[in-house]
Amino acid sequence: MANSSEHTPEVLAPTPGERLTNFFKRKDVRRTTIHFFLWTALFVVLGLVYYPRWMPEIMSKEMKSAESIMIWFTVISAPIAGIVLAIASNSFMNMHRGDTPPEDGPAIRTHGPIVAIWTVGSLVFALVAIGWGLIEVNSQAVAAARDAKSAITVEVTGSQWLWTFNYPAQGIETHNLNLPVGVPVIFDVKSADVNHSFWPVQLGVKVDANAQVTTVIYTTPTKVGAIDVKCAELCGLYHAYMETDGAVMSQSDFDAWVLAQGGHKA
Amino acid sequence: MSTLDKAHTSTRPVPNPKRSLITRLHMGTGVVVGIIIAAIAYYLLKHSVLTYTDGVADPLEPHSNNIVLLGTMFAWSIGFMAGIGAFIGPWRWLIGKDLTDEEILYMAGDGQGVKRYFKYCTDHKVVGIQYLVGVMTLLGVGGTMAMMIRTNLARPGGHFVTATVYNSLVGLHGITMIIAMIIVATGPFGNYVMPIMIGAYDMAFPRLNALSWWVLFTAIPVLCSAWFLGGIPTGWTAYAPLSVQAGPGMNAFIATIIIFAVSTAVAGMNITTTVIAMRTKGMKWNRVPIFVVGSTISVALAIPAFPTFMVAMIMTGLDRTYNTGFFDANMGGSGWLYANLFWIMGHPEVYVILIPGVAALMEIVPVFVRKPLFSYNAAIMGFAGIAGLSILVWAHHMYIAGWAPSLNGAFMVTTEMISIPTGLLFLVLIGTLWRGKPWMKLPMLSVFAFIWDFLIGGITGIYLSDVPADGYLHGSMFVTAHFHFTLMGAALTGAIGGLAYWFPKMTGRMLDEKAGYISFWFVQIGFNVLFFGMFMAGAEGQPRRVMDYAAMFKNSNLVSTIGAYSVGTGMIILLWAVIHSSRHGKVAPMNPWGAKTLEWTVPYPVPLTNFDELPVITSDPYGYGKGK
Amino acid sequence: MSHDTQFHVHHDSDAAVGRRERLGVRLLIVADGSFLFSMIFSYFYLRNLNTGGNWLPKGVKHYTPSSAWQVAIPFVIAAICHRLGQENKERRNLTSIATLIVLLVGGYLQWKQMAHMPFLLKDDGGVVTFNGAYASNWVLMAGTGIFHYFLGAFIALGILIRNRTTNVSHELDVWRQRTAQSWFTWCAIAAVLTAFTLSIV
Repeated sequence: MANSSEHTPEVLAPTPGERLTNFFKRKDVRRTTIHFFLWTALFVVLGLVYYPRWMPEIMSKEMKSAESIMIWFTVISAPIAGIVLAIASNSFMNMHRGDTPPEDGPAIRTHGPIVAIWTVGSLVFALVAIGWGLIEVNSQAVAAARDAKSAITVEVTGSQWLWTFNYPAQGIETHNLNLPVGVPVIFDVKSADVNHSFWPVQLGVKVDANAQVTTVIYTTPTKVGAIDVKCAELCGLYHAYMETDGAVMSQSDFDAWVLAQGGHKA
Repeated sequence: MSTLDKAHTSTRPVPNPKRSLITRLHMGTGVVVGIIIAAIAYYLLKHSVLTYTDGVADPLEPHSNNIVLLGTMFAWSIGFMAGIGAFIGPWRWLIGKDLTDEEILYMAGDGQGVKRYFKYCTDHKVVGIQYLVGVMTLLGVGGTMAMMIRTNLARPGGHFVTATVYNSLVGLHGITMIIAMIIVATGPFGNYVMPIMIGAYDMAFPRLNALSWWVLFTAIPVLCSAWFLGGIPTGWTAYAPLSVQAGPGMNAFIATIIIFAVSTAVAGMNITTTVIAMRTKGMKWNRVPIFVVGSTISVALAIPAFPTFMVAMIMTGLDRTYNTGFFDANMGGSGWLYANLFWIMGHPEVYVILIPGVAALMEIVPVFVRKPLFSYNAAIMGFAGIAGLSILVWAHHMYIAGWAPSLNGAFMVTTEMISIPTGLLFLVLIGTLWRGKPWMKLPMLSVFAFIWDFLIGGITGIYLSDVPADGYLHGSMFVTAHFHFTLMGAALTGAIGGLAYWFPKMTGRMLDEKAGYISFWFVQIGFNVLFFGMFMAGAEGQPRRVMDYAAMFKNSNLVSTIGAYSVGTGMIILLWAVIHSSRHGKVAPMNPWGAKTLEWTVPYPVPLTNFDELPVITSDPYGYGKGK
Repeated sequence: MSHDTQFHVHHDSDAAVGRRERLGVRLLIVADGSFLFSMIFSYFYLRNLNTGGNWLPKGVKHYTPSSAWQVAIPFVIAAICHRLGQENKERRNLTSIATLIVLLVGGYLQWKQMAHMPFLLKDDGGVVTFNGAYASNWVLMAGTGIFHYFLGAFIALGILIRNRTTNVSHELDVWRQRTAQSWFTWCAIAAVLTAFTLSIV
């Protein structure tokens, strides 16, 4: 033991900080790190730029919530995707070609801390996704309950291959879905035959139409503009053409439209 | 009952069990007997149940017609199985005259050359090749339908096919591909390679092994008959009540699923038993190759999963034939019941498809990176976690069905939890790649493609499982793109990697590399373009399964169609490479990749009993690497 | 493809083969269990929904729970009969006959119930209709019962014949008795669960 003192500087185990520094000094680690930033940036851009460009105009809180989940979950998962893809792409660029196998690599059987960190990391990630979703679901339910009194009701009936909208309080029945802006709306959806799925696209909500039972969704249009109504459940021959349009309009325009349809003010 | 053993001192010629019916039966007699029995059933049913009004069959009474058609289809299946000799074994058991050794040898196809591929052959290697050909046929048929769908959708207002044909294409493409993908890895590789990997003479139940393939075979003409009966209008999910009201083609769908469920139960039970009971000496559970573990978990998951689909289909059949009211709201039934039963099967099923593909790639990575598999235990926990959770997530397909909105939160929790075991699978793959120098051969390319594709599929799955986002995305093209990324991008890529990897063992020749590379890039680039376009269309608001769309979706759909043609081109090249290489390819050495699993210790052609003497295992097959 | 060497059949030990077969049958029981689970699930699901008040048949006398137990009891007796003869070849000569007869009687009872179900409607043209969701579930469960009886009778007949022949391996058949016991016990459990379900009208 006596002579070991001469070699003290070499024998001393590196501190965690030093080990980390040494780790990032390695050439392959540096390359992987660069790849990591590139891939992460790619996913952040995909999420932030493409979804808002692709998705239709946001005309309700529900639509806003759907779009923000798509954007921000992409951004949150970008670093994870970055790690996976960086290691894969670095490994890909480090390839060995030829007809004989390469030399054996290091015999790393497992690495407890990495497995633990990875598992905990994905647990945290899952909890964020769950928490976000539950909060959104809850706030939508709370809003629906709060707004139920002031809401207008639209009875939606799907039949092969036509949407019919009945406004009981206004006493009108149409095939175009017009709604007043800023007023909560309750859709009571049912089907006259097979299953359909009622999808007012720009409102970001959807519910199946079933025979004999009524399903309900709530939303509040927040913006004036045109909306498309589609069927999102294969319902037979002309499923593709089971669509109609409508509009979110100001209260006065809506009232005028109701009167023009032969209805009355609620 | 018995497996086969190699004798060193034998002078017997090719087995020739005298006066045994077995020697006279083959696929041809199966077809003949099947057709005869089906014809008899058709005649009898037609004259006993068809409704007559004034002496003329009543065309307004579809129920009787459905009875006739379903009865004929099942009669065909049973008749074929009788005609090929499937019932000889049970019959001989019943009368107490067990099969003799010579008959068992004969049934194993000993010394019968190519003919044994057309017989009720119990050799697991023959069954594996039969499955491979079957899978490739189904993928070819399903792929052709996909090309027709994309052609129709190339431009808005396209009428390449009529609405009826289009809906049938969508449904039959779906079910053909689902069936093909369920058997794509566990069929060919699970039967051919897996018993050798665990050091067994044969499967646990060789006759049931033949049964599972030939039963599946009888389902193929039944499924094809849907085209001649007016097609199916429902998509592969066959939601009731649309399926109950659908035309006669629907009977073909129902019969196919019921027959397929029988095949799957038998095959799943056989593979599971083989792995549990027939591992060679020394192969403890922590030394079993990861592909074997993955396949076993996958088929073991299928055993309880598929009967629920079978029940749902029997109910649809009863509703269509005997006017029961399972799914008819006017009779106290509910379409939600169908959706529940379907998805209780449906979600485990996608993991039944995915897990063997991933497991095949995990088998490949250590060999080509020359490193041990990173954290074998994490891989197993990943598979087991996915399989366990998958039973609890089915209703995320029904968030917007309205049947129980209050449960949406609970199902969202279980669904998001799946990202944890899925994350472990990624960790195992990248951990094995870490600091390795991958040998860039065909099988290895699939690993990289898998990582990219499955990542995209996984991330988009995270928003689909969140209820508010699903409220917008459900039933749109976005969903279609998402599950193609997981089922095709991940599982099929894995299976193609497995094909390239085990091709030398299964055919004795190397897969043509150049054609393989060309095909790989055509398929992967095309695939990503195709489904990038579809993500775009879905996010823009295009529903799925539509034959036509508004002008605003024209760019995204055109992108998709261009990608689809690239995939099609690549797949044709791959098909050519497989067929060409299996006949004229470079002769493969016994162990071309330098792998350490047992299948590479046997020569080609693999002897009937695989091993002269069963090997004894002393370590797991991942002992690569230096240092540490 | 030519084989230079000859092969002959390798017989594993009876215990190994027997255990393997029993494991296989138990896995099939898992599949059958899932089938049963689906039917029970459907029963309670539709009963709970009671869409349009159409759960029970309207205007028709409906099925009494005691009839459901009537067709379950033979399965229980058959399982017990088989258990009595399981380990004893001599006694099995008797018990296998009893098992077979009980199963055939049970199958006949089930068949008779199906043919005379009170909620079956038949119009002039011979079109059959089931009245209400309860009737639909009942007929599916009865059909599954018939299937179990048929399969059980096949197995019992085989045991009966094989017990009297000399040219089969009786050592292996001892294991097969245990395998058959797994199946008969499961059938009894399934029948009792079905009868219990159908009792909650």
